[in-house]
Amino acid sequence: MVRLDLVEMTSREVNQQLKKLIGTEPDIDIYNPHSIHNFATALIGDGKVTVHGSTGFYTGGFLEGPSLIIEGNTGWYTGDNMMAGEIIVQMNTGSNAAPSMVGGNLVIRGNSGSRAGWGMKGGNLVVCGDVGRWTGKMTLGGRIVVLGRIGEGAGESMYNGVIHTLDPGVEEKLGGNVRLIPIEDPEKKELEALFKQYDIAQGVDDFMSIVPAVYGRHDYSLFEPTHTPKSSLPKSQARG
Amino acid sequence: MSEKGKRPPRVKDVQQGVWTPDAIAEIRYKAQLGKHRIRGCGTPRKLPHFDDLVVLPSQLTRMSIDTYREHCETQTVLGARFAKKPLVIETPIMISGMSYGALSKEAKIALARATDIIGTSINNGEGGLLPEERENSYKQVVQILPSRMGFTLRNIEAADALEIIVGIGAKPGLSGHLMASKITKEIAAFRQLPEGIDLHSHPRHGDIFGADDLCLKMDELRDVTNSEIPIFLKLAAGRVWEDVKIAVKAGVDGIVIDGAEGGTGAAPVVASNHLGIPTLPALVQATRALEDMGVKEEVSLIVSGGIKDGADVAKALALGADAVALGTGAMIAMGCTVCLRCHEGKCAFGIGTQDPEQRKKLNIEKAAQQVANYIRGMTYEAVILAKAAGKTKLKSMEREDLRALTLEACAMTGIPLMGSNYTFGEMFGFC
Repeated sequence: MVRLDLVEMTSREVNQQLKKLIGTEPDIDIYNPHSIHNFATALIGDGKVTVHGSTGFYTGGFLEGPSLIIEGNTGWYTGDNMMAGEIIVQMNTGSNAAPSMVGGNLVIRGNSGSRAGWGMKGGNLVVCGDVGRWTGKMTLGGRIVVLGRIGEGAGESMYNGVIHTLDPGVEEKLGGNVRLIPIEDPEKKELEALFKQYDIAQGVDDFMSIVPAVYGRHDYSLFEPTHTPKSSLPKSQARG
Repeated sequence: MSEKGKRPPRVKDVQQGVWTPDAIAEIRYKAQLGKHRIRGCGTPRKLPHFDDLVVLPSQLTRMSIDTYREHCETQTVLGARFAKKPLVIETPIMISGMSYGALSKEAKIALARATDIIGTSINNGEGGLLPEERENSYKQVVQILPSRMGFTLRNIEAADALEIIVGIGAKPGLSGHLMASKITKEIAAFRQLPEGIDLHSHPRHGDIFGADDLCLKMDELRDVTNSEIPIFLKLAAGRVWEDVKIAVKAGVDGIVIDGAEGGTGAAPVVASNHLGIPTLPALVQATRALEDMGVKEEVSLIVSGGIKDGADVAKALALGADAVALGTGAMIAMGCTVCLRCHEGKCAFGIGTQDPEQRKKLNIEKAAQQVANYIRGMTYEAVILAKAAGKTKLKSMEREDLRALTLEACAMTGIPLMGSNYTFGEMFGFC
């Protein structure tokens, strides 16, 4: 095991050090991370990196291969453009987790902010707590799993991919161009395996899935008058 | 009331004032369909342009350089601010970002081959990097767009330079439109989209929510690239002076300013016609911003939008650009007639289409050679003007070499009005 103390290191120095160690050292322990930004950027290879504390923005960006465990919180854009491997955040993340994620698993034990999974293209994003607005906005692929409550605008304009949710009020919080369907059996099996891999004690039968409404043309409105046209009212209610 | 047998005047007979045939056609389109019109190629509006400037020839105040027997340096180095390996190209004329999707695979390959023939760079545009494009290109710029379709770490590894897109001149504040006619099975798979969807990308990056985040993002990308390759940032021309300063502070190596003349595969007509400012004043403001910050020699400045010939290149360089980028011009060199219907995907020349039959009409080798010839000819033209102005390096063109033909251009650029040393407006560079 290698121990790195970041107390006087810049993110650039940390990442250069990590790139030298990864693949040769199976276990790397990080102390005094002081919410450092851009931690473990483009770290490629096998190995386990454990952070005893919290990290800042862009944690694990472009990560490809390693297992990254953050014992505290992370900032915005955790798992940014992540390629493969896994990131486990034991507490909460800021907004925009897993933006444009390509592959791998990002597991957040606590809550995540708005726009989790923005433009995801692959991989799995699991949030054990709540998520904010616009989760899974414009995803191109991948799977988002939310065990807690989900915010408004869920799945707005998804192109591909799926959001699994347990939120009983989700129907009122769907974004545009998506629909809600029961989870399918093959998906249940995949979820069970995912939960088992990360010791998540949660059944899979009650999940609902948010999927793209149409695999064709999205429907947008750039102008939404709030009044009721007279022509659409019954004659008895129409005035003038 | 009209006399018997005489046709009463109709609207189309009165083509004065605001009710032009175009205005009438637009009203009828909206009246029928209740929506805005989408169109390709950008705005057809007449805008202030480099043609409103002339280059002053050297006579007794300085010696001219022999056009045909003396050398004028054209090699251009871009992005040397922080990158270990700046982008080195043989002419300051680049191919700008046009996506595989908006263009056919054959057109992308032809453009890439042209860059290899002439020694310049191509930019992949939205929707991923076509392997055939990279195989054929001389220098490859890879865009980082909000949509990130087809974008992975592999794209960065294949790049000679990166370009973060904040906006494009043809539809600033908006993002990519790719109509269903072009989302074929192959394009859909390449972009991870459902086949046949009308694509409207997002204008904001999911991982850059504001200027502060951009600073961190730049650090991240430096880590990813080990600071080897330049990172440019592309801005649509709007509040150029302010935007350029923010980009410089964020740590970019170069800035691409895309003026309102910029082309596109598809955009709302109202956006192309009414958003953003033209390339000429945008370049002036960008140069001023860099000079105000004292980084004009550090940060590369590239302009695009309506660049059509070598005179535009020479004048753009004189006004502070380090290079220009071509989109529509390169398409015209391949055979495009600027019919404004790129969005329909039926391009009869095999350029802006995904139709297998139409694509066959583009001869890749011939098109590549034509684009290379076009860039070569443009470079010749720029060199002719530079030598006539007494320069042995194209990049030595300077504002003092220019005069404005119109009061408007004079006020806009700070270049003195022809026949005088007087300027009107902000006295750009001549205080």
